[in-house]
Amino acid sequence: MAALLELEEVRAGYGQTSVLHGVSMSVEEGQIVSLLGANGAGKTTTLRSITGGVRWTGDIRYSGRSLKRLSTEDVVRCGIAHVPEGRGILTELTVDENLRLGSHLRKDGSDVRKDYDRVFEYFPVLRDRRRLSASTLSGGEQQMLAVARALLMRPRLMLLDEPSLGLAPIVVRAIFEIIRTINQADGVAIFLVEQNARLALEISSHAYVLEVGRVAVSGASSELMGKESVRRSYLGY
Amino acid sequence: MQEFIQLLVSGLANGGIFASLALALVLIYNAMGLVNFAQGEMAMFATFIAFTLIGRGFNYWIAFPLTLVIAFAGGVLIERVVIRPVERAPVLTLVIVTLGLATLVNGTAGFLFGYEPRVFPSPFSVRTVNIIGAFVSYRDLGVIATSAVVLVLIYVLLQRTTLGLTMRAAAHHPEASRLLGVRVSWMLALGWGLASAVGALSGIMVAPVLVLEPNLMQTIIIYAFAAAVLGGIESPLGAVVGGLIVGVTVNLAGAYIPFVGGDLQLAVALAIIVGVLVIKPNGLFGRASVRNV
Repeated sequence: MAALLELEEVRAGYGQTSVLHGVSMSVEEGQIVSLLGANGAGKTTTLRSITGGVRWTGDIRYSGRSLKRLSTEDVVRCGIAHVPEGRGILTELTVDENLRLGSHLRKDGSDVRKDYDRVFEYFPVLRDRRRLSASTLSGGEQQMLAVARALLMRPRLMLLDEPSLGLAPIVVRAIFEIIRTINQADGVAIFLVEQNARLALEISSHAYVLEVGRVAVSGASSELMGKESVRRSYLGY
Repeated sequence: MQEFIQLLVSGLANGGIFASLALALVLIYNAMGLVNFAQGEMAMFATFIAFTLIGRGFNYWIAFPLTLVIAFAGGVLIERVVIRPVERAPVLTLVIVTLGLATLVNGTAGFLFGYEPRVFPSPFSVRTVNIIGAFVSYRDLGVIATSAVVLVLIYVLLQRTTLGLTMRAAAHHPEASRLLGVRVSWMLALGWGLASAVGALSGIMVAPVLVLEPNLMQTIIIYAFAAAVLGGIESPLGAVVGGLIVGVTVNLAGAYIPFVGGDLQLAVALAIIVGVLVIKPNGLFGRASVRNV
């Protein structure tokens, strides 16, 4: 069976600087895959290539269809939710308006309402702050809002760019629990970029390690975690 | 007291006109961080279209909304044809483009409609009604009511509809909005359309007070700039409040400050612009801009 998302020899960069030198990866339906590596290895660029935020060559296919020449808007409309670096919260708008931007393309009104209920079950704090400006939320709450909004898009694949960045360990734990739930209860496949390798390997079934724009190591997460040499040289713990 | 109320009401009527044009400026400033110097000229052109429609025998209350629709379409078209190719250019390039557009629209209006001043009809009688001792013209009240209705409609569109939500999102955070499936480029075009329509409102409201000719809006745009700056150039609500304040202030200053009179009213508007920029650059409703370096 073809994978949900496939990257084949993808090269990408900004202007004259190339960042990815031909990476191939895949994410199966319903799987959590983590993408690890040092700063500047090309993790964020990989995600941005998928949603068309950066020019790329090679091929990226989503459920068998090439994403070449699709605009960001069209890629997203195919069912890929991308929580970008910095979370992409619209701070001029309220929490509720941010959430509505997650569901604004959906036509299934009654299901949308059910999804709101579920999202508020996951993140009760968002229900309490619905009417407030999103700029008043703490970093952890903004990350919750970003994940909640992505969930309301009812995607088949969610791209998460460093959900743990800048957050207290206890908040990170909570968010990763929800990510796991989203994956298991809703069957959403997740492509997770993380600095915190240990956490990412725990939650994912498969992992890729990028090193200066190339896939250095890949394999089952449990395997990578077990290999002392891999851990030391690439994962830093 | 009686004179004061009369000045207040006619100031509010002028203010509604300034507010509409200021709101048009703010809508585009929000969408692209750019002051559209052609806004007044576009409004003037739309007013000529209304004039032509009425001249062809259309009822005023049909010609008026029809003109707003045509102005909307024209705004969208201008964005697609003139602005889109330079969408990502530096802001100075865009400023030059809108200045060029202003000249182009002005010249085209002169070419098509001529430069002789024309009397533009008003649907409101110039007779006055007695309100607590003051004589207030139906025309002023009509202008206030019409502006209020259109401004409320725009408010509802922006704040209460999904389309308005996506337009605001696209204006503030284009990148994040794209990732949520918002067609940002089209939202910009719709923003131009909306600005063009609300600008047209100001032209149609002011034309009966002045006379219709290609330079109709050239002083009005200064008052609109003052209103937009006073309100905080990013705030639609600020534009409306700023417009009303400028309208009333200019009217009162003209009457009560001896050396201002009718001749220096424009100078009052310019003084407001300079004063706001010196004392409170973010205006009444603007937020302090934070730039990450």
